[in-house]
Amino acid sequence: MAALPDDVARVALDLPLRANLSALDNVALIPLYQRHLDAAEAVRQALAVLDALGHADIAPLRDPDMTPAQRFVTQLARALMLKRPRLVIDRPGAMLYDVPYPEFIKRLAAQPAMTGTWEIFDFGWNQALYPQ
Amino acid sequence: MNFFAATLESLGAKLVGWFDVGYGMFAFLARALMLLLDPATWNRATFDVVIKQVYFTAVQILHVFLGYALVISWLIITIILSTAREFGLTEFATEMAIRVLVLELLPFLTALFIALRSGSAINTEVALMRVNNELDALDHCKVPPMQFEFLPRLIGGVVSVVTLATLAGLVALLLAYLSIYGMSMAGFEAFTRTVAKIFDFRIVAGLAMKCALFGLAVTLIPVTAGLETPKKLFMVPVSVLRGMMRVFFAIVAIEVMSLALKYI
Repeated sequence: MAALPDDVARVALDLPLRANLSALDNVALIPLYQRHLDAAEAVRQALAVLDALGHADIAPLRDPDMTPAQRFVTQLARALMLKRPRLVIDRPGAMLYDVPYPEFIKRLAAQPAMTGTWEIFDFGWNQALYPQ
Repeated sequence: MNFFAATLESLGAKLVGWFDVGYGMFAFLARALMLLLDPATWNRATFDVVIKQVYFTAVQILHVFLGYALVISWLIITIILSTAREFGLTEFATEMAIRVLVLELLPFLTALFIALRSGSAINTEVALMRVNNELDALDHCKVPPMQFEFLPRLIGGVVSVVTLATLAGLVALLLAYLSIYGMSMAGFEAFTRTVAKIFDFRIVAGLAMKCALFGLAVTLIPVTAGLETPKKLFMVPVSVLRGMMRVFFAIVAIEVMSLALKYI
């Protein structure tokens, strides 16, 4: 995939989680280092994003202990935490091989606290999965 | 002639490779030092990771390390004392024990201990982070890997080696006193006089510098070796092997330099 501009938050297989950190810590890194919040506030914000996606229960899990769907949700939470104007989900099929993924992503996007547009880039042959 | 040319070419390639590795290491160190001096680096997040690294490298292994230092010190002191008695050189035993243990052996063994326990782990972790694209992911999230991953490990290594070598030295001093004078306070004055004679400013500064260099070697070399790893999983063991060999040579080189500066 060609390099994307800096205002795009990507969720992609080639942007994995930090393996030795929990889902919560992976998401909390963003406010900790970008907005220089204290640890407690960063963790609170990270938990709020996971909760908004309906997956607060995965907070203590580390990458190797997650299912592909849980891993995807954590990557998505991290991308949402970046608060960039565009959010691109790059080839979701490569990450979400254990769930029917267009429906799964639609369910996540339908959570009450979710705003903005998520752009999905997928292989042409998967077009049938996305009814207009 | 062809053989000669091929040998020369391979030697040249090796030299260029070594220069490249050395340059990479010093460039990385320079970047780390510049960041260290930048007040923006010292935010709460970096400070927390530094504390965590010191805990993992030094505090977590304290009881094992002190036990190991105790056994080694007791053995060496016993050997020195019995040899000194045999040759009628008991008056030199204290100085000999302190010089051998506190100035040379314990800092060297501390560096080896940290290298084998933490250095190899750091090398593997950084190599895996590179192979798995975790560093690229951090970069995408604008989380600086230097502040978050590398600098805390360098600081943790230096602080841990200096602290553990100091603690081991203190244990050795206590053990040396007890082995020579027993529980009596009679030898306290003579013992402290010998200690004061050995530990002048130059020696203490040299010892601190040596321990700091050891600490840097056991963390900086594994980090840079890990970062050099090609993005192939099967190259991770090769990266650790190379990194640990470099650490070993660096530790020996620091020790030899320190001995040469002190005694030649």
